[in-house]
Amino acid sequence: MSWIDAARQRLRDLIAGDRADRELNEEIAHHIDLETTRQIRDGLDPAAARAMAYVRFGNPTLISDAARAERGSHLMEGSVQDLSWALRSLRKNPGFTALALVTLVLGIGACTVAFSVFNTVLLRPLPYRDADRLVLIRERNSKGDLRPPSFPNFASWREQTRSFSGVAAAMSPYSRTVSASGDAEPERLPSLEVTRSFFSTLGVTPAIGREFTDAEQAPGRPRAAMVSYDFWRNRMGARRPLGVIRLGDTRTLVVGVLPPGFKFLQPADVYLPHEGNAGTIRSSHNYQVVARLKSGATLTAARAEMSALSRSLYATYGTETEAIDTDVRPLRDFMVANYRNLLSTVFGAATLVLLIACTNLVSAQLARGWHREREIVVRAALGASRARIARQLVIESSVLVAIGTIVAILGASGAITAIRIVGGSLVPRLSELSLDGRVLEFAIGIALATAVVVGVYPAVRLARRDAGQVLRAGRGGVSVRSSVWRALIGFEVALAVMLVIGSALLVRTLRNILSAETGFDSHGIVTAAITPQESDAARFDEVVGALRAIPGVEGVAFTSNLPLQWGNWSGPVRRPSDPKDRDWPAMAGFRVVSPEYFAVLRQPILRGRSFAASDRPGAPGVAIITPGIAEKLWPGQDPIGKTIATNYLFNDWLTVVGVVAEASNWSMPHGTQNEIYVPLAQREANIGQQIIALLRTDGRPDAVMGATRKRLRDIIPHSPAQIGTVDERIAKSAADRRFGMLALTAFGVIAIVLAAVGIYGVMWYIVSTRTHEIGIRMALGATTARVQRDVLSSAAAMAATGIVVGLAGGAYAARYLRASLYGVSQLDPRAYLFGAAVTLSVAILAAYFPAWHSSRVDPMEAIRDT
Amino acid sequence: MDRSGDLLPGTFDMLVLKAVSLGEMHGWGIAERIERLSDGACAVQQGAVYPVLQRLLRRGWVVAQWKVSDNHRRARFYHLTASGRRQLADEINWWRRSIAGVDRVLSAEPREA
Repeated sequence: MSWIDAARQRLRDLIAGDRADRELNEEIAHHIDLETTRQIRDGLDPAAARAMAYVRFGNPTLISDAARAERGSHLMEGSVQDLSWALRSLRKNPGFTALALVTLVLGIGACTVAFSVFNTVLLRPLPYRDADRLVLIRERNSKGDLRPPSFPNFASWREQTRSFSGVAAAMSPYSRTVSASGDAEPERLPSLEVTRSFFSTLGVTPAIGREFTDAEQAPGRPRAAMVSYDFWRNRMGARRPLGVIRLGDTRTLVVGVLPPGFKFLQPADVYLPHEGNAGTIRSSHNYQVVARLKSGATLTAARAEMSALSRSLYATYGTETEAIDTDVRPLRDFMVANYRNLLSTVFGAATLVLLIACTNLVSAQLARGWHREREIVVRAALGASRARIARQLVIESSVLVAIGTIVAILGASGAITAIRIVGGSLVPRLSELSLDGRVLEFAIGIALATAVVVGVYPAVRLARRDAGQVLRAGRGGVSVRSSVWRALIGFEVALAVMLVIGSALLVRTLRNILSAETGFDSHGIVTAAITPQESDAARFDEVVGALRAIPGVEGVAFTSNLPLQWGNWSGPVRRPSDPKDRDWPAMAGFRVVSPEYFAVLRQPILRGRSFAASDRPGAPGVAIITPGIAEKLWPGQDPIGKTIATNYLFNDWLTVVGVVAEASNWSMPHGTQNEIYVPLAQREANIGQQIIALLRTDGRPDAVMGATRKRLRDIIPHSPAQIGTVDERIAKSAADRRFGMLALTAFGVIAIVLAAVGIYGVMWYIVSTRTHEIGIRMALGATTARVQRDVLSSAAAMAATGIVVGLAGGAYAARYLRASLYGVSQLDPRAYLFGAAVTLSVAILAAYFPAWHSSRVDPMEAIRDT
Repeated sequence: MDRSGDLLPGTFDMLVLKAVSLGEMHGWGIAERIERLSDGACAVQQGAVYPVLQRLLRRGWVVAQWKVSDNHRRARFYHLTASGRRQLADEINWWRRSIAGVDRVLSAEPREA
């Protein structure tokens, strides 16, 4: 006996009732012997006598099953029997079992993965202490737009509010040159400047050390920094004491290490005190303000207080501030607001997939039930109660669902890891994705619901069968009414159509965003962001020369801000005639660029000229503006030669020398705004501030990126460059839609596959119940093609009902996608047509094999065989 | 109309109970008794007695015991318990009343309706 047999025997012995089984088998064997003896006595030869004994006895397997069922004297014993009956029955039908398992794994797996994303991003609390007490405060301007606050406004709020136990701010993050120790390679790493009590307001305690002291926050402060846990572990070698790091040329004392995984909105490696060099302009927008509600304070009360406060500030400072009101909302809402609709849609899509899976299983059980009716009826005739039979069928489905759920959870945990790695940068908080207890509970919950749905209806239906009806119906059993099939197939086709429409809409959206008019030609532009140190200033010309000399580079320009980069400057613009303290006539973004900028980005100059070498320090200040500013300030006049001023960063008057076309500098796909460009040469070199080289390549950015990195390292080793492309940034700006598109497309494909499997199964069932009828028709002269066409058209007819319902359902559900769509209507006829066409083709394709099979029926056999 | 084995529900249980009451017997013997005593009218598949016997065992109306049979093989013999005897009396009573009722209906004349 092999060890497998031994183990199997052991297992069987463990199952209650095994001894009784053996006794019953012995009884039956004895019975057959006695009956054989009698038949021999009655004159049959031994072989015929034994055969007759079996005929008179009936099917021993069914009899022992029925006897076993009767023996189920208490619940547990009965359940164990039912379980082994279910396992045997599943093993006997490997085809059905495999198909059902695949369906279940896809359905439950898809739903579990979608829920884990939903749970992580939208439901799980933020990783701060009492995170639901944290709010984010923004300014609301007279146009109703929400903007990040200015430092002076933040400082006023911090002094005057009573609703919060803490109010703190962080600047927009930017990258700095950092060396973990005196001799370590410098790197460009994201840094974040924060105000007093920033970490204590968030409820974050440093893993090592402490938060900045007020002395470190004061102007002329001693240099101090905090670092991320990863930076401390990987770059600083997890050293104690923390010691000193170099920021650019400056030695800085590390006073604390943040806990592992900490981040505020965006990850950063180095945190610095900000109060000492805080902004002073009330109308600039560079801060994120976070506050913690005092215990007992409500959000409503805090909102009222902040609104009143901003009104009084507006009364005091007038147009110096743009904030006529504030927006106070829970921090989590702010972080995930853009994703709520999209992720709900994705979750909804997964639910539809699960419903399709359930529908498939119900129809598979019904179709299979037809083959099993006789077995079930015999069991009933032998005295098994209907409840007992129904219970066994439910247990069989439950076993199937349980196995499917285990596989689905394993698969989901793999998918979750993959999504965390791939999608971590696409959607906020997705990097925290994990299979936690809540997700497991959810998976088990939907598994139970699935077991009920797919188990109970077929079980009740089958157990209710009348024995006489089934036995009289002969081999064919009693067929399920066609209206039931139409409903089941229609239902799953409708769901599949909805999913295909959703993914088609998002695919179009993504394509529209990526091909949207940006106002500049981003293709093949390589970017290199550097933060020059004092020691580098003299080598700037050398840098320019080296970059121009890289093979494949057609032009080099410099700018203060990358297109689509967060943290652009903006401020009000005025004419000489506008009084300084009155409403500003226009707002504009502000960029410092080199003369080649417009040529390199291929941004057309509409009037006047681009910057030239003559626009040098000492020469009259010049500016190039976008048409919107000209419209606002000098409607109907030629803006060339006019003068403007902005109060942001400088106060001198600038002469407009050109008008350049608007570009999506702020965000994709519709982030154009008024913009003022000033020449790089006329601005003081800002040591320690980032400058970005834009390299127009001949279309092969990869080679240029490598060469750029190497050249820059040779010339300015202390200021490592951050190399990328503009196309990359454009792709990233559509990341949320890309995520939604990928998810909906994946679910759409699963839905189509499941619907195809369902249609295939049902058509197969229908064809096999109609073999007799088809045989007669063929005997009467119906052609093969005719029979096939009938089967295909009945499949198409069933699908058509579903498609109509699906189109209506899609139009309803697409409302939830509206906010995520771009350049395509939620009722885009092409998407709906596509959904209908794909589903109909798949339905016909799925019915093709059953149709072909039906036409291969041999009329003689089909008629005889009933 | 083929009616072989087409018994009223519950009838077969009663027949098995009765067959056991005639003397301790094994499964084959019970099936054979029913067949012989009914002149083949109640010939069902012989195996059907086993699930019924399990049910009767569970309800405590019969008990089973392994013994050596006439052909010197081990066989399980069933015999009636006291509660089985009462149950059989009840069932016979129920059966007689049902049959009498059915018979009255079947022999009714038009004027009685």
